[in-house]
Order: sequence, then structure tokens, then C-alpha cells
Amino acid sequence: MSSYLDILSVLLLLSSFVLMANKRIKSHIRTFRFQSAMIALAAGILGVNSLIHEGRVDLLVVCAVIIAIKVIYIPRLLHRVYANVEYKVEKDFFLNIPILILGCCMIVVFTYFALSKTDGINTGTENMRVVNSVSLILIGLFFMISRKKAIGQIVGFLVIENGIFVTAMFATQGMPFIVDMGMFVDLLSAVMILGIMVFKINEKFDSIDINKLKNLRG
Amino acid sequence: MGFVLLAVPALAVLLFSLVKSRPMQYTVSVTASALMLIAAAWITRQVLLFGTVTYPAAGGFIYIDALSALVVDIVAVIGLMTSIYSIGYLEEEYRHGKVDAGRFRLYYILMYTFIFTMMLALTVRNIGIMWIAIEATTLASTFLVGFHNGKDAVEAAWKYIIICSVGIAIALLGIIFLQLSSIDVLKSSQYLDWTALYSHASVLNSSALRLAFIFILIGFGTKAGLAPMHTWLPDAHSQAPSPISALLSGVLLNCAMYGIIRTVAIVNRSFGNSTFTGRILIGAGVLSILAATLFILTQKDYKRLLAYSSIEHMGIIAIAFGIFTPLSIFGGLLHMVNHSFTKSMLFLSSGNVLQKYQTKEISHIRGMLKVLPVTGTVFLLGLFAIAGTPPFSVFASEFVIITSIFEKHNFFVGMLVILLLAIIFTGIALTMFKMFYGKNTAPAVEPGELNIPGVVAVAALLVIITVTGLFIPNEMKTLLNMAEKIIIGG
Repeated sequence: MSSYLDILSVLLLLSSFVLMANKRIKSHIRTFRFQSAMIALAAGILGVNSLIHEGRVDLLVVCAVIIAIKVIYIPRLLHRVYANVEYKVEKDFFLNIPILILGCCMIVVFTYFALSKTDGINTGTENMRVVNSVSLILIGLFFMISRKKAIGQIVGFLVIENGIFVTAMFATQGMPFIVDMGMFVDLLSAVMILGIMVFKINEKFDSIDINKLKNLRG
Repeated sequence: MGFVLLAVPALAVLLFSLVKSRPMQYTVSVTASALMLIAAAWITRQVLLFGTVTYPAAGGFIYIDALSALVVDIVAVIGLMTSIYSIGYLEEEYRHGKVDAGRFRLYYILMYTFIFTMMLALTVRNIGIMWIAIEATTLASTFLVGFHNGKDAVEAAWKYIIICSVGIAIALLGIIFLQLSSIDVLKSSQYLDWTALYSHASVLNSSALRLAFIFILIGFGTKAGLAPMHTWLPDAHSQAPSPISALLSGVLLNCAMYGIIRTVAIVNRSFGNSTFTGRILIGAGVLSILAATLFILTQKDYKRLLAYSSIEHMGIIAIAFGIFTPLSIFGGLLHMVNHSFTKSMLFLSSGNVLQKYQTKEISHIRGMLKVLPVTGTVFLLGLFAIAGTPPFSVFASEFVIITSIFEKHNFFVGMLVILLLAIIFTGIALTMFKMFYGKNTAPAVEPGELNIPGVVAVAALLVIITVTGLFIPNEMKTLLNMAEKIIIGG
């Protein structure tokens, strides 16, 4: 089981690199969906394991909720938002893609060195998984600041949330069940509100380029 | 009674989705917040008598001790004042045709959802649920920040939700590390339980705890407006409708600070000293005051100036908890109370000014004392109060905090804070006092107060801050002392 989780953890990290290299919003959303599906798979593996050994079903419920929300509902919502806002931005990112990828690599190295100094979580494979998932969070942050479009920022935020969820799953065998469920409710409402905000930005600024949001200063 | 605190705003939200007429909405709003104040007072009494309030129902879901009771009281008082103030404010907006019936309903539903989430954050035992509630405060208040729906309001709301959600997400990472630090120590039913973490503090894994503290400070610090994560705050506070600004500044910042304080208590107890947290908190605090100073000196918009002043005061509170002596904690908690009352009073008065003059620019406002005699006086006195002039209460708590800094022989920090506070005083005097005197040049502005309930609310707050500046009631002192004991242990 643990080798599957290792593979998934590396694949998750790779998916964030793929995301960083994506140029179009549609592929951002697709990569996000793929990433969420892998998280659901990891939760499923852990869930089956805990069902067999301890008779707990909560992780399987979490897995089902992830599939419902993150794999099906949110990508569909984002696609709908995207279809309804018209815009034309020639170049979406501030830096070019090779530099962004290089940045991602440096983030992973940095996380590795930062976390290998921390005792308590550096016990073999567990630690590598935590390194991967914390890198995922940081790459999500990096993604947010590297894109100009509002939907790109939403995807970045979702990747951060994914990363945090995976960290919780790998480092602590999951948060208490009620906390997980609350997180999903928050996430769902956050994405809905962000979607509405994208419409409003599009309406007021005639574009979803967040570089234009520069009125408030000082 | 603990459940009443949560049930009242939840019921109010339901009622607002049914009630249509404006007078009914006002009645529901004031009744709900008055009931909450009564419930909060009752709970405070219970806490004063028994130390903590818990209920066996739902696995001890609710846990209220002196620290949470203190912040709950702040929420309840400011909640009542804002709901009284909102009557006049919304009536005036309605008269100008800026809001219609649908937006009235949206306003009240969101406002009470906002209050509900804050109450939830303060009364739960589980730090994970507290996190959920704090994230929900952002979600509930986003549309309130963007309520006016103009270009600036939408921009402020977008910045607010993006920066705060990401910040709060980082706090969640911290909470995960907090759980990680306790994983060999606690039973799985006790995970993320404040009381369990606190009582087992000495055996927690210290390096995971270090990481946890840093992430939680960054996360909740974003929400509390500590520099350099404060950038959303001036935008959101200046663009939101004034009653909401009062809630954001007076209450929400304290809720976020409450999360930080709880974590600091655990970490310091675990390490046995406050060196680690102290350095970081004092650094963030001084940086916040410094950032606020620079922007206050050059400010042209009075609501933004008040927002920067909130950053300054959050910085002072962070320093107080960084020093971590009994005196400084007492001062920090007292400062939380005093800052809330004073700053909400100022934001509420600024709403009256905004509705009268229809501008946020300081340079377009002259002769306020003649045009708005009561609001103008309260605003002027409030500015003196927030800058730390006796006899108002902010002076008392700042004095206690600065004394405690020097008592810990932290002379450099003490001098720096005093210097910056003096510069801020000058900055406020230089930029703001012009508004009160001179001759009003805007022809459309006629003398006379518009928002009568609002004037009553701000005057009541002025009385509160003056009285608590002169002497602290015994009950409040006991509550503060109990909260101080909870934080420092012993």
C-alpha cells in the first residue's frame, strides 16, 4: 500500500509542474481535476486500509466527497465561469514557462532542506511524502502570483487547498472527520463566491485580468 | 446559554430570509443582538463563577473560558451598537436610492452570518473547527466588503477574499503541524483540542510545534492585519459600509488574534519560556506599527487612515503577547477591548461623515464640528482617544503595555514603540484635525445630523471608553485576570 501512496505523492507533485507549464485556462482546470482525482485515489487507498484494519469508514466518505466536489463539481463550475467571461489577454504569465518550472524545482529543493532539519517528521518515506505535499502548497502559491487572470488565481488557491489536504493525510493520517467536512463546506462556498466575484470583476473592469485591479493604493 | 449565543444569530439569518418590511428587519436585528448581549453577559457571569462553561452535549463541542468570554463580550457589545447604527445608516442609503429591498435582506443575512461565524470561532473547543469558522468569516464578509458594488469595492472584495483565504489556508497547515506534534501524545478523540493540547504541552514534539507556530502566526496574522500581510486591510475597511468596517476592525481582528493567543499559550508552555514566540511576535508587531506610521503620515482618505491605525493597534497587541509577562498580557487583553470600542466608534462616526459629505477625501471636508455637532465632537475625541490621550481607555492599556516592555528590560523596543506612537499622534493630528475646523465650502452639505440612532450608538461608545479609561469595573478586572492566568498558566 505504501508504495502506491509514494507513487501518488510523486505524481501529485508532477501534476503541479504540469499545471505550471499549462498555458490555457482550460488545461489549468483539467490538470486540477486530474490532481484531485489522484488525491481521491490516495484517500480511497487509505480508506480501504482503515476499513480493513480498524473498521472505520470516514476516509471512504472523505474520498467520495472529494470526487463529488473537487473532481466533478468545481471543475464544471470553473468551466462555466470561464465560458461566460469574455476576454483576450495576449500573454497570461509574467515570466516564461522554463523559468517558472525552474522556480518550481527550487521550491522542492528548498522544502526538502527546510523539512529535513525538522525532527519528528523525517522518518523515511513519510518525510518524502510531506516534502512533496508541502512543495505542492508552495507551488500553488507560486502559481497564484505567476498568472494574471482571476481564474488562474482560483486554480492556484485550489491547488494550495489540495496540498494542505494531502499534507494532513500523509503527515497525520487525516484530520478529525468533522474538520475535514467543514473544510469541504468552506472550500465549496469559497469557490462559489470567487466565481461570482470573477463575474463582477469582468463586469466592472471589462476583463478578468487582475493586473487592472490597481485603484486602491497607499 | 452557550448554544443561545450560536442559535440567536442563526435564527436571525433564517428570519431575515422571511421578513420583508424594513421596520421588521430593524426590529429583528436589534432584538437578536440584544439577546446575544444578554446571553454573553450571562455566560460571562458563569465564567466568573465557575471558571469555564462547557456542556456535555455534542461531545463537549462548546468550551468557553475567561479568554473566549472576553472576546465574546466584545463581539456582543459591538454587535448591538452596529445593529442600532445600521438602522439609521441603511435608512439614509435607502433614501438616496443606493440600496433596494433585496440588498437590505442580503446585508442583514450576511451580517448575522458573519456574527454567527465569529461566535462559533470563539466558543468551540476544537482548533480545527475554529479554523473553519474563521475561514467562514471571510466568506461571509466578502460581499459585505463589496456591498457598494463599485469598481473599488469589487477590487477590495477580491483582494480581501484571495489574500485572507490563502493566509488562512497557511494557518491550516500550521494546525496540521500542531496535530502532528501531538500525534504520539493524545488519543485520536482529543486531536486539536485546546484543553488537551494545553495540558499536554510539555510533551509535544517541539520542532513540529515551532513550524506550527510560524504557520499559524502567518495565517491568523493575515486575518489580524499584522504587517507585512496587512495589505488587504486598508482596502477592505475603507470600501466596506461603515457599520461593517466597525465589525471588521473592532471584532474580526480580535477573533484572529484570539487564535494566535491560544497558540502562543500552548507553544510557550511547551518550551517553558517565551523567547521563540516573543522574538517573532515583537518583530511582527514593531513592523506593523512602522508600516502604519508611514501610511498614516501621508494619508488622504480618512477611512483608510482609521484602517492603518487598526494595523498599528494590532501590532501593539502582538508586542504585548510577545513580551509575555503577566502585566503585558493584562495590558494586551485590555488593549483588545479598548481598541475595539474606540475603533468601532470611530468607524461608525466616519459613516455619518461619509453620508453627510459623500466623500472620503480629507481635503474635501471642512467645518465638521459645525455641520455635524455630535458626530464631529465624538470623532474628534475618538481620534484623541485612539492616539493614546488620557483620560480615554486606550491610554491606560498602552501605558500598561509600555511599562511592561521596560520592566522586561527591552529598552530598544520600548523606545521605538514610544517614538512611533508619538509620530502617529502627530500624523493623525496633522492629517485629520483639518476636517473639524474651518468653513464648510461644499454647498450641498447642510448642518444637522442624519443618522439619529447612529449618533446614540457612537455617544454610548464614547461614554464606555471614557468610563473604562478612568476606572476598570471589578468584574472586568477579574475576567482579565482569569484570562491572563489561562494564557500564562499557573
